[in-house]
Amino acid sequence: MLSLLNFLLIYVIYKYMLSVFQVVFILFALFAIVSVVNKRRESSLGPKGMLFWILFWVGASIVVMWPESVQIIARRFGIGRGVDFVIYIALVIIFFILFRLHVKFEELKRDLTKVVRDKALDK
Amino acid sequence: MFIAIVPAHNEEKTIGSVVQSLFEHVDSVVVVDDASSDATSREAEHAQAIVLRHEINLGQGAALETGHTYARGMNADYVLHFDADEQFDAADIDPALEKLQAQGADILFGSRFFDKRSNMPWFKRHVLAPLGRIVNLLFGAVQVTDAHNGFRILNKKALDKIRITQNRMAHATEILALTKKYHLNYIEFPVQVTYHEYGQRAVGGFKIVRDLLWGKIVK
Repeated sequence: MLSLLNFLLIYVIYKYMLSVFQVVFILFALFAIVSVVNKRRESSLGPKGMLFWILFWVGASIVVMWPESVQIIARRFGIGRGVDFVIYIALVIIFFILFRLHVKFEELKRDLTKVVRDKALDK
Repeated sequence: MFIAIVPAHNEEKTIGSVVQSLFEHVDSVVVVDDASSDATSREAEHAQAIVLRHEINLGQGAALETGHTYARGMNADYVLHFDADEQFDAADIDPALEKLQAQGADILFGSRFFDKRSNMPWFKRHVLAPLGRIVNLLFGAVQVTDAHNGFRILNKKALDKIRITQNRMAHATEILALTKKYHLNYIEFPVQVTYHEYGQRAVGGFKIVRDLLWGKIVK
């Protein structure tokens, strides 16, 4: 079974001239999509969240498989290399998510304070 | 009614005598036990204080606000903030309250700098305290000589207006900022502070600035 998988992997790499990075990335993306679906099943992720993360990983895989595809968009934005464009966009998204997480964390802290305070005063 | 609020975290050794010393000057003593792992609650109850206990450690600012909420419920006329570690002298309370009433002020801030009684460490007096004043200036607080002094008296109006949202040590600056925002009349009063250990370190100062910045961004 394992040797068959190995063979298939090597065949695919050879046939489509994939780089090691591309193979590793695609495998990771598959793993990520599987865990997204699992989280949805455990209902710790909403339908919109699932859609977003699946699209995200599919999109990232497309960019990794065909890096030229972003070149065209990058040029439109006045950025020379497609890879740079992807990195800039990724950074913007990461910082935005980070900000949202911080806000969420702050809200949680306030809710926690309220619950603890109410309980202290209840006695 | 004059209520003393004593935020306490693991102060089993000192809380009993602090509560006792307070009863000579106030009507009621509320100890807010901020999830101590020692016998702070028991010692405070033993000394006849009303004990409000946080199940999770939230910080000194949160403990004071819990005390405020209680005092508002009791319709208190004045509240006193007083530290649990024996660094203040309860003898300062009566003259402080008299001065607050005589001057018609809403809030009184204790200060270590008005006289020479406090044995303040050099680094604290000449480096940390001036830095604290600069931070307060940046965050729109009223200027007092000793911003991070835990000795305060609030009248009803101040108690109603000052709602602390900074759970940790940044509440000191927040109180000063709210004093300015609501145009409360404030005075300073010399209090004695006895240092048993060092207290707040420089790292604590950075945490305060960080908390204040977040407080500005996240409303």
